[in-house]
Amino acid sequence: MPDDLNWAIGGEAGDGINSTGKIFAQALSRAGRHVFTSKDFASRIRGGYTAYKVRSSTERVESVVDRLDILIALTQRTVEENMDELHEGSVIIYDGERTMMEDFEAPEGMIGLPVPLKRLAEDAGGALMQNIVALGAACEVANFPIENLDEALEKRFGDKGESIVANNRQAARLGEEHVVEELDHDEFDYDIETTDNDYVLLNGDEAIGMGAIAAGCRFYSGYPITPATDVMEYLKGRLERYGGHVMQAEDELAAINMALGAARAGARSMTATSGPGIDLMTETFGLVATSETPLVICDVMRSGPSTGMPTKQEQGDLDMLLYGGHGEIPRFVVAPTTISECFHKTIEAFNLAEKYQTPVYLVGDLALAVSEQTFEPEEFDMDSVEIDRGKLVDENEIDSWLNDSDQFQPHFPAADGISPRTLPGTSGGAHMTTGLEHDELGRRTEEQEVRIEQVDKRNQKVETAKNEEDWDYREFGDSDADTLVLSWGSNEGAMREAMGFLDEADIDVRFLSVPYMFPRPDLTEEIEAADEVIVVECNATGQFADVVEGDTLTRVKRINKYNGVRFKADELAERITEKLDAAQEVPT
Amino acid sequence: MSSDVRFTDFKSDKQPTWCPGCGDFGTMNGMMKALANTGNDPDNTFVVAGIGCSGKIGTYMHSYALHGVHGRALPVGIGVKSANPDLEVMVSGGDGDGYSIGAGHFVHAVRRNMDMTYVVMDNRIYGLTKGQASPTSREDFETATTPDGPKQAPVNPLALALAADGSFIAQSFSSDAQRHTEIVQQAVEHDGFGFVNVYSPCVTFNDVDTYDYFRDAIVDLDEEGHDPTDRDAAQKKIMDEDTEYQGVIYQDEESEPYNERHGLDENMADIPDGAPEDATDLVREFY
Repeated sequence: MPDDLNWAIGGEAGDGINSTGKIFAQALSRAGRHVFTSKDFASRIRGGYTAYKVRSSTERVESVVDRLDILIALTQRTVEENMDELHEGSVIIYDGERTMMEDFEAPEGMIGLPVPLKRLAEDAGGALMQNIVALGAACEVANFPIENLDEALEKRFGDKGESIVANNRQAARLGEEHVVEELDHDEFDYDIETTDNDYVLLNGDEAIGMGAIAAGCRFYSGYPITPATDVMEYLKGRLERYGGHVMQAEDELAAINMALGAARAGARSMTATSGPGIDLMTETFGLVATSETPLVICDVMRSGPSTGMPTKQEQGDLDMLLYGGHGEIPRFVVAPTTISECFHKTIEAFNLAEKYQTPVYLVGDLALAVSEQTFEPEEFDMDSVEIDRGKLVDENEIDSWLNDSDQFQPHFPAADGISPRTLPGTSGGAHMTTGLEHDELGRRTEEQEVRIEQVDKRNQKVETAKNEEDWDYREFGDSDADTLVLSWGSNEGAMREAMGFLDEADIDVRFLSVPYMFPRPDLTEEIEAADEVIVVECNATGQFADVVEGDTLTRVKRINKYNGVRFKADELAERITEKLDAAQEVPT
Repeated sequence: MSSDVRFTDFKSDKQPTWCPGCGDFGTMNGMMKALANTGNDPDNTFVVAGIGCSGKIGTYMHSYALHGVHGRALPVGIGVKSANPDLEVMVSGGDGDGYSIGAGHFVHAVRRNMDMTYVVMDNRIYGLTKGQASPTSREDFETATTPDGPKQAPVNPLALALAADGSFIAQSFSSDAQRHTEIVQQAVEHDGFGFVNVYSPCVTFNDVDTYDYFRDAIVDLDEEGHDPTDRDAAQKKIMDEDTEYQGVIYQDEESEPYNERHGLDENMADIPDGAPEDATDLVREFY
């Protein structure tokens, strides 16, 4: 059997699915195995189908695949929901003594493994531990030494006291013993390796939060919304350690305005929300840009429009992020493509915001936000973090930025478009700023020449940034390949793995993963060099494909997915193959 | 802060475009005097305003200031004060800005009890959009959008503030310069959210709630011997809809402002050149 292990636990929300999945993922990670996790969840607190999937390998894994080797099914529906991914030899662990599963028969070729989960859990000290019994059984099936669970159980239950931890360890061992005693091991032969590697395991929202702290963020205000709330939950308690503060606002309008206020007072500030929250923030977004306030606004996209499917994947907000708001608003739109890039691009977003005194949209998506992945800890190198606060003027330099009547010029139309900036409290720097069109002093004006001067000045900042910063892409595969695939956001992981499948089918692909939506790299040359160009994204209309076509004046092919589920590597390889086959069938 | 600051130091060189006789002149003068009297100077003061006639105040005052979007001035002030508690933060808005579009923020700002001052220029009408009913307009007040009157109860801002556990609730009249200044000054000195509703007549569009009306109607709480620390007495005054009171209606002198409760005493603008020294601990948590 391959060393790759695809494991899942499924049941009803409230069954402890997430914490059990997380315990297994952490155990694998601590045993030196790479892990990638994904969650299927519904928008409800209790009941409804929910699942936590863990893919694990000794090689780095960056996506999910259509395959399940071991499934812990707490409900019959779990088996039904995952039928397409189960295969010959898949092991389904279930409680044969529970009514809802007692008549269960594993589909042909699969191995049903009844374990008295509830009864053994009660033997260990409480029925609640049934998942841990199942986990112990799964360890035995995978030939994964059960001691590896101990540390993760300590981490999860340590706060509740040593006896709870001990009971859980015991529950796991009862599950393990049951498999050893009752079942024939020859039926399945998983044997996964462990290594000495130390990995960290985190999701995209956590990486954004960690990046924010590394970048010197001190103020965060937000309103709870799936799937962005994890950013706030991560920061709460941690930001305070560094003298910062997390404020739960009364709504998204308050959240962005609080962040704007804190930013004007000089704090590096951020708010995070999802699409519906961006809608509400859009009016103030224009104010942030016009008042030239540095601010990072994070949009963790989910399925829309309106309330759409709040717990499902989609990349449908690009048009809004690029063009949203009345009038013309200079902005940056940065979209990390992997979980570790969520960390690095967040730091970059804070620097861009302060250097150019411009709002920055930091764009994640649900698949990035809730999936966890293992990394070498060095990938989050804190020593290499550099903070650039831009043209911050202190009391000593202020004289050069005063006008004839000794007033500070916060909107001085410098050639690069970037004005000096004083923070409140700076002597001699008092000034006002406004969303109204204003002169260099921040005073309202409707004079035509001043209007043009200030609009040009604000837009010039973006032009300056285009020249001064790297707006590059990440490149994978054969740079001479005839087929060029482009994607943005979380699709990178699936696409990189898909390239392995394509390679097996002798399909050569050049893949560019684009993390900058505005400004963005000019892809004209790359597109002209390719015979086939395919843009991959999780939306129905192909918003990024439209942008690429507009930029390069070239028609591209599109692979879109909008059923609420992220791309899987094998599925993506298949769809690319189909596109290329279809292209060849067209008579020339 | 310097002791030789005069209130005129808070004046900008822009001439207000408010209508001659507008109540907002007096409201603003009192605010500037209160700031100077309490030892503030323009460089440590941050004034936030929303939209409408009241929103113009940031332009006419000289300080650090932000003129924001309609109804959202309070959250901006809260952000400023969180990031730098050394700043004196004063937020100003109108009755539409504060009690209509911003009503949610008002209630939450009151209960948050951030140490700042909120001055509302209440003229019981929308002035800048030329005379529509506002949330404090009388039930039978005829306007272009309510030709038969709004036919709904006006908002009682003081009652909202008391219900949200406000720690300083006051009302003043812009043309009673001395009392108005005193009251705003007390709000600035209060440790917590100092809220002052100011009767600031609109001479162009409101011919009911005029200077003459307020002059005749106003009852000064000091003269009545009202004890502002008595919450029940405050509630009686606030619910008495037939009387226009001036003065501090309620003050909780023991109130603990948000900044203190949350230990916000540092200037968040001060950050290192790189990641915090022990930032690697953040990575370790994910092992």
